Parts: sequence; C-alpha cells; structure tokens
Amino acid sequence: MNPTLRGFVVKELIQTLRDPRMRFVLFVVPLIQLTLFGVAISTEVKNIRLAAFFESKDFVTRDVYERAINGKWFIPAKSSYTDPYKVIQSGDADAVILTEPGGFTRSLGRGQAKIQILVDAINVLQAQSVESYLSNIIADTVSDDLKIKPRPRPIIFDVRVLFNPDLDTAIFMVPGTMCMLMIIATLVMTNNAIVREKEMGTFEMLISAPVTGTEVILGKTIPYLILGLSQFPLILALATLVFRVPQKGSFVMLLLATTAFVLTTVAMGTLISTFCKNQSQASLAAFLFLFPAIMFSGLMFPIENMPTYVQWLAYIDPIAYYMGLLRNIMLKGGDLYYETTRIGALLVLAVVSIWISFKRFRTTLG
Amino acid sequence: MKKFVWRRAMTMARKEVFHISRDPITMVFALVLPVVMILLFGVAIEFNPKDIKLAVSDYDNTQDSRLLIQQFGSSEYFVPHGSVDVNLAVKDVFSEKAKATLIIPPRFEKDVYNGRQAEAQVLLDGADNSTVGAIISYVGTISSLANERIAGFDARRPYHLRTRFLFNPELNSKWFAIPGLAVVVMTVLSILLTALTVAREWESGSMELLLSTPVTPLEITVGKILPYSVLCMVAVVMVYIVARTVFGVPFVGNYWIFGLGCILFLICYLAEGLFISIRTRKQQLALQFGMVIGLLTTNLLSGFIFPISSMPKFFQYFTMLFPARWFVDIARDAFLKGSGIHDLWEPFLALLISAAILIFVSVKTFKRDLEP
Repeated sequence: MNPTLRGFVVKELIQTLRDPRMRFVLFVVPLIQLTLFGVAISTEVKNIRLAAFFESKDFVTRDVYERAINGKWFIPAKSSYTDPYKVIQSGDADAVILTEPGGFTRSLGRGQAKIQILVDAINVLQAQSVESYLSNIIADTVSDDLKIKPRPRPIIFDVRVLFNPDLDTAIFMVPGTMCMLMIIATLVMTNNAIVREKEMGTFEMLISAPVTGTEVILGKTIPYLILGLSQFPLILALATLVFRVPQKGSFVMLLLATTAFVLTTVAMGTLISTFCKNQSQASLAAFLFLFPAIMFSGLMFPIENMPTYVQWLAYIDPIAYYMGLLRNIMLKGGDLYYETTRIGALLVLAVVSIWISFKRFRTTLG
Repeated sequence: MKKFVWRRAMTMARKEVFHISRDPITMVFALVLPVVMILLFGVAIEFNPKDIKLAVSDYDNTQDSRLLIQQFGSSEYFVPHGSVDVNLAVKDVFSEKAKATLIIPPRFEKDVYNGRQAEAQVLLDGADNSTVGAIISYVGTISSLANERIAGFDARRPYHLRTRFLFNPELNSKWFAIPGLAVVVMTVLSILLTALTVAREWESGSMELLLSTPVTPLEITVGKILPYSVLCMVAVVMVYIVARTVFGVPFVGNYWIFGLGCILFLICYLAEGLFISIRTRKQQLALQFGMVIGLLTTNLLSGFIFPISSMPKFFQYFTMLFPARWFVDIARDAFLKGSGIHDLWEPFLALLISAAILIFVSVKTFKRDLEP
C-alpha cells in the first residue's frame, strides 16, 4: 500500500473510532440486537388467548377447552364482554369456541353436531396456526370422549424439517439479523463519510491535493471495509457460541462470502453517496435503500412468490444473497455451485457500483 | 425556568419550514417515499407461498404413487420435479433447487391396498423460516386429499366444524401487512427527519447563535417537532389513500381516533429522533443510532409480522417501550376491527406517556447541554 493511501486509511479510522459512542454503536449494539432478536422472536405461534362459551352440562366442549389450555399453545382469555364477537374485537381473546344452543355434547349423540370457532384474523399467519391447532384438539377430544377409536389413515406423511428439526428460533433468526446488522454499519457509514466531506467542503480540498481519484475512493472505502470485517468475528462468535447456530460448512467459504458482502455494501454506500449533497439526504437515501433490502431479504416473508417485476429488485439486494449464503454455508454445509454463483453475484454488484461511482465522481468533481 | 412563549416556538417552526422548503429533496423523500414503499411491498408481500419447488423421488412408480405426486402438483402450492435417486432429490434442498423433497418408498401402492399404512416422507428446508410453517400446513391439507382420493378413506367426522376468520375473512396477506407496514415506514421516516436537525445545527455552528437568543429548549423542541409532524401527517394521508384505493384495505374505524393516535405516535418518534440528535450532536452518529433503533427494532419487535404474544414474557414487556408497537395495534384496529376508544385506552395511554417522557427528556437534556 502506498504511504498516501495508508495515511488516508489511518486518518479515516481514527476519525471514526475516536468517539467512544461510535465504538459502542459499532461493536456493542449489534451484539445486543442479535441477542434480542435471537431470543425474543418466535416463529411458532404461542400464548393464544382462548375463550369458550358453553353450558355447564356440555362436557365435550369443556374437555376441548381444557385440553387446549393444558396444551402448550393456549392460555385462558379474560374478558368482561359476553358477546363472543366483542370478546375478540376488544382484543381480549384471539379465538373463541362457540356451540349451538343445547350444547355440543347432546347434538353429538344425535349425529348432527356443529361447533364453531371464531378466530381473530388480523394476523393471517397466527390465524392459520390457531385454526389448525384447534381443529386437531377438537378432533382428538371428540374421539376420546365418545370412545371412538380413530381409524388409522391409509397414507401418512413423515414430515421432517431439515437443518432445524426443533424449529429453533435462533437458528432461523440469527443468520438473518447478522446480515442486517453488518449492512447497516458498513453502508450507512461509508455513505455518510463521503457525504460529510462533501458537505463540509473538504472533498474539494482532497481533489486539489496531490492524491489521485483512486486513492480518494480507496482511502474512503478501505477503512469501512476493515470496520465491517472486524464486526464479523464478534457477531459470529455470539451466534455460534451462545446461540448454538451450527457452522457446518467451510470456514474459508464463510469468510469469502462475508468479504464479498462487505465489499458490496461499502461499494453501494459509495454509490449512494454520489447522489447526495448533504447528510440529511444521505440518511434518507440510505433508508430508501436499506428498507427494501431488509424487506426483500426473505426474513420477513417468502420472496419466491413476488411478481416478477418486483423480483428483479431482489436480484440487486445484497442481503438476500448473503442471507442465502449464510444459511447455505452455516446450516446446510454449503453447496459449491450455489456458493460460487452467489459470491460471484455479490462481486458483480460491487464492481458495477464502484464503476458507476467512479464515473459519477469524475463528472461531478472533474 | 423561563416562560414558554408560543410566538418564539412558532418562529422556530417557521425557520424549520424554510429549512425544509429550501431542501426540496428532503420534502419529496418524506412525501413520496412512504407511498412508494407501500406500493412496492403491498404488491410483493404474500405470506402463503405458491409454486414451491418440490423434488420428488418415486421408488414405487405405480399408478398410486403417480397419483400422490399429482395431488401435490395439482394443488397450487407445489411444483414437483422428478429425480430418480433419493440422494439427488435431497441434494436439491442443499443446493437451493428445491424447498422440499417427497420420497415415495417402493411398495407404496401395495401397502395402500393391503391395508398397511403406506408412508411417504417429506423433508423440508428448515433453513428458510418464511416457508416452513406454510409447507407443513400444506402437507396436512394434501394428506387429507390423498387419503380420500387414493385410498378412498372416509375422513368424515361426527360433527361439523365451522371456522370464522373475523376482520379478515379471506386471510388476505395484504390487509394484514399494509397497516403494520405503514407504521414501520412512518417510524423510520420520522426518526430520521428529526435525528439530523439538531446535530446539523451543532455541526454548522448555528446552535451557538440560537443559544444566544432568548429561545428556551422547550420552544426549540416544539418548534422543531411541529413542522415535521405536519409533513408526516400529509405522508400518512397519502399512505391511507394508497392502502384504500390500490389495495382495497377496508377502514372500519373512527377517523378521529385514528388521527389522534397518529399524531401521538408521530410526536413520539419525532421527539425520539430529536433526543438522539441532541445527545449525539453529530450527524453520522445520530444517523447510525436512528437506523439501528428505527429500522430493525420496529421491523422485528413491533408485532408487524412476528406476533408479540408469542414472545417470551420478558420481551412482551420489553416491546412496550416502543411506541410503534402500540400504534400498530391502533392502526390495525382502525383499518380492520373498528372497536371503540374504550378498548384502545391501553395503547393510547402508552403513547401519551411515551410522548410526554420523550419530550421531557429531550428538553431536559437540551438544557443541560446549553449550560455545560
């Protein structure tokens, strides 16, 4: 590395890390957040508040309700309302079991029983789970209470969840949040570092100084590349040691993927900075980029089904590539073709962003 | 403490309006961005995946096994593709060419006819949290169909179960997602808008000038929050129009309740942004904090997608610190449920308290900063 560039990089690193709060945001906050999201979020619907309206003699419905409460998904709902619709509307319960007048038990004996469940469907995912839990519980209770021996089904499916058999939340969430924490640090910081110099007018000074354009760009990006990469061991250690996220694949591949990812985010940060005049614009632009990038990453909702004209946005989303890579390498042990194509795609994104940034720097400052 | 003078606060507000109008890009961002985001994600969000790639390894290769594959293929959920070898089929999951593998063992048809339980195996990709739940429930549906159609199994129960999905009878993903999405977008936007204002004044040195005037911290705070809340309210109205017209999301609640909730919620986040700005005094740092707090926590902990009630107890309480979590309740209620204010007193009270605390803290910190 030539001395000018080295000086540049050192200056930039000192300038960033001088502030203890910045060190805190860079190295401590991601760990806190990873812990938070790894523990807090559950992909399984639990603690569903259930209410049931039935007559005292209706023992089958009572059994259904008790079986549900004694299971692991439901908790009893408390409500002052007596109208089942209001019980749900007021938010006191997520589901209500209703029987017809005369009771479920009596009509079961006559062979024309009806039972109804009301489910709060504001959260679509939760509503679907609630329905399937309840319909199984009702079926089991009815066969038990009426002493019907359930006939075995002729065809059964043995469903196994690979890579995460216990549906462990941390294994789902941690690789995903890792990418987001890293991209926020690198992309936002690079973008901001360049725009800050522009806003303060020091960028013009740099141009007039005896440094080449390449040195300016490299001097502004390498420090953030280093910072981004230095976050990775911390985050990875927390993920594997504390959250027991497996690391089945090759470590070299993991490092390659991470380097490619950080390179891409830094390059994209540089590119975004060429469009911004001041820091408030830079922050809005970063938001404009990061928000869709997080949404289209595949952590919040499946991305396979998006309309094709939206899907191309996922093709320029570095988080989507990197999250796929992390999951493939860490959880599955890695597939060489998949790894190389995705890392390749990240590098292409990096090169294109840097190339456009160069072009734009020349025209705006040259 | 000096008296609060409205005129001075309004002068601050006017100065801030000049600031915003001089920087049209910020204004365009603030107004256009939420609408674009809602349009984009409203189109894209669908929680029930379709056309899931299914690698099939059929060792039986009989009429029944083909019928079983057809049950998967004719549902809109799966697109099967065949592999002869089971290892190849499973490998498709490792190389992301398939989300699930169906393995039909030899003797499948024989077992069905001889009354032994015929067992097929489904292995699914547990690395992808967004599809696991859906695939498991699809397999359940297909299992019932297959039993009925292939083995002629009469699965009728001695009772009739009717499920009514309230407030979103067709389980429309967009109705569920859009009100929450709007809250998340507005949260980040409002934090970002104010997070930079005070830091910018410190960096450019104009804060020193402000300090020498008789204006008090509370007046500065009010003066800075006011214009941005007007800007954000306009953005909310635009988001509302898009949600109603483009995506057909109903609005069954009361406009006054929704509007009031909206203002409280915006004040909370504008004040939070201001607080970050006052504490950090540097735009880069303020931005980093704003992003970290606004972007990830509201996305993941506001109940927007991952239900709060499913979280461990401690975190259910923890989410109460985030005003967005409360406003998600209010917004969903206003759009889909339409219950009265007496059912919403909790979120309103929480927002009110948060707003008061955040403004108080901003003003206090400000004061300390002014007289070091």
